[in-house]
Amino acid sequence: MLGLFGALNMGTRALQTQRQGVEVAGHNLANVNNPVYARQRISISSTSGPDANLGSQGAGADVASIQRLRSQVLDNQIVAEDSVQGSLNAQQKALEYAQADMGQQIDRLASGAEGASAAQGVGGAHSLSSGLSELFSAFQSLSTDPSSVTERQVVVMKAANLATQFSQADDRLARLSASLDDSVKTDVSSANELLSEIARLNDLIRKSELNLPGSANDLRDTRQMKIESLAGLVKVDAAEDASGMSISINGTTMLTGSTVLETLATYQPATGGLLVQTASGTPLALTGGSIEGTITARDGAIASLHKDVNDLASVLITEVNALHQPGFSLSGSTGAKFFTGSNATDIQVNSTIAANPTLIQVAGVAGAAGDNTVAVALGQLSTRTHPALNGQTLNEYYASSIASIGQSLSTLDNQVADQNVVDQMLSQQRDSVSGVSLDEEMTDMVRFQKAFEASARLISTISDMLDIVVNLKR
Amino acid sequence: MRVTANSFPSALINQLGSLAQRQGRLQEQASTGQRVSTPSDDPTAMRRVLDLQSDAAANTQYKRNAQVHQEMATVTGTTLKSLNKLSSRAGEIATLADGLKSPQELKIYGREVTQMIQQAVQLMNTKQRGKYLFGGTSTDQPPFVMATGPGGEISSVTYQGNASVAESEIGNGELFNTVPPGVNTSGSGPTGMIADSRNGADLFAHLISLQNNLLAGNTSAVSAVDRPQLASDEDNLIQHMGINGALQARLETAVSQRDDSALALEKQVSSEADADLSQTIVRLNATMTAYQAALQGGGRAMNLSLLDYIR
Repeated sequence: MLGLFGALNMGTRALQTQRQGVEVAGHNLANVNNPVYARQRISISSTSGPDANLGSQGAGADVASIQRLRSQVLDNQIVAEDSVQGSLNAQQKALEYAQADMGQQIDRLASGAEGASAAQGVGGAHSLSSGLSELFSAFQSLSTDPSSVTERQVVVMKAANLATQFSQADDRLARLSASLDDSVKTDVSSANELLSEIARLNDLIRKSELNLPGSANDLRDTRQMKIESLAGLVKVDAAEDASGMSISINGTTMLTGSTVLETLATYQPATGGLLVQTASGTPLALTGGSIEGTITARDGAIASLHKDVNDLASVLITEVNALHQPGFSLSGSTGAKFFTGSNATDIQVNSTIAANPTLIQVAGVAGAAGDNTVAVALGQLSTRTHPALNGQTLNEYYASSIASIGQSLSTLDNQVADQNVVDQMLSQQRDSVSGVSLDEEMTDMVRFQKAFEASARLISTISDMLDIVVNLKR
Repeated sequence: MRVTANSFPSALINQLGSLAQRQGRLQEQASTGQRVSTPSDDPTAMRRVLDLQSDAAANTQYKRNAQVHQEMATVTGTTLKSLNKLSSRAGEIATLADGLKSPQELKIYGREVTQMIQQAVQLMNTKQRGKYLFGGTSTDQPPFVMATGPGGEISSVTYQGNASVAESEIGNGELFNTVPPGVNTSGSGPTGMIADSRNGADLFAHLISLQNNLLAGNTSAVSAVDRPQLASDEDNLIQHMGINGALQARLETAVSQRDDSALALEKQVSSEADADLSQTIVRLNATMTAYQAALQGGGRAMNLSLLDYIR
């Protein structure tokens, strides 16, 4: 038997319980647009009163706990997929830059039979490909009129233009690699920051859960978000133990509990761009995350494109010079190089020739201004295949490099699209478990409100009863 | 599956996003008329288009080269015709100058031949685009130089050119030349236009000999030596005129062939890179309809809320 005062207490507890229900619903509603938030539920348990001969009599209800609804399986999957997505997105972005840097586009309105006039000044196809074609055409034209200074000037102009295009492409790709290095650095320092934040949260969670394990709902949500952000940067393995979430990367434990054991650091290898190891020097073979994606794109497709551009330039320089040097200029001079430099970085038209186009050596014999043997051979370079270019002509080699970067990017585009579908499905699933539904919360609020009213009525009834008891004897 | 407050808007955003992306792409295809513009759109097509474009550039250049050759062939043809006229007149004079003509008449014929030599030298020193045409590959100085004797007669015409010719491409590996060297005494290579050691032609030497014989009144030498010599010159010129005609015809064909292959290349590029406009526009319309439907449906569904119904 509770007695009247016991029943009054029961009413008070019931009021508290329903009020807490409304509060949790309110908390859920407040966080409806918080992406890391998992909805919470109160679990109510009935309290038992003193034993009586009649059997156990209940003594109302209490809030047993406030739980967050979350699926560990989904969380783990999302962490894993975040690494995949981070890597793919980083690669896609890097290759998009590389493709833009090469500036190779098809513009059908500005090319083709009648297109040349349409291209004037409205952005036609001014790429390496057309630069090469134009230089060879200029050599061909010169071969029909080898003594013409005008044709010679055209050759110098086209060659200088091509050299500029080469060095611009080289410069842009080098700058792209450098900025990818910067983004590796930034990502590494964000990852280190996240590691220390996770350690701090591990500590906070442990402290606030001393009495009731698993009760620090909102801190756990925040920690999950940090782990997911970290996974986007670098693929991690997260495992929960008594001290909190421990994080390891590629088999190396980075943190347990509140202690950060290792941080990430970049280092400069003998050749190539920045790579990542632990601060104490353990090499890390990363398998996912944007850091890995950036490194993969930089050392893979972009590095090979850069190498292709340089190979192309150096073959062009060697071949043109080999034909040009034994030739004779209009003034009879011989032995000069047409291009100086050795690759795309420093390719330039020999400055003496650029200043005086009559010094272009296109005659096969001295003293014959009309001899065009060298000019013909230079023009024919466009159709000659070169062993150093995998047995392709210069233009074919360029086209295959462009096709290969395009192929890499198009494959990535498809992979990213597929990955987005996976991510969407997972986040929908997570939403269906953890997401806040306005309708549910509103209904809950009404439910708890009505229960609150009923509990209040209980208290007023008991109060009336107490009045009666007090006024029994007057 | 449980649908929550945010699952509906985020699904709507995703759908609208992909529809907008598709719409943008189709819109771009419709406005440019191209299926492929960047390498990642279709790497294989890009590769083929780049190859075709460099073929097209080479093709245009070959055509331009052929047109330059046409120009030179025309000039060569005109020169040959005028030379042939001169050579016929010289033959006529050699025939007219028989023993019945007085020394005065022969002298007048001799003077005419002198004029003819001067005219022929002028013709052979023709310049085209600033360079001498008939000196072989020595194009920066007049190929023929005359020396005049004390009586105003031409004593010699020297050739300062060489016997080589400059060939250039009018097709892949198709080396071509339309202008013969003025003189070729090397016994090999292209036949000289007015003198060649292989067929005995040497127009200037023979005209000078005729001029000298006429001036000296030596009619027997004119008929015995000069007439057969001039005949060989005429043969040589006629042979060159024949070759020139054939070359011009070939160039005509080459130019029209280049035009044809330019068109064929254009067609191939088009089949690789161009969008099928009707298909693109139909797809664009379908996508736009879907987009509109998603917007309308989403807009209405998002406005529905339990809040409107409970007090």
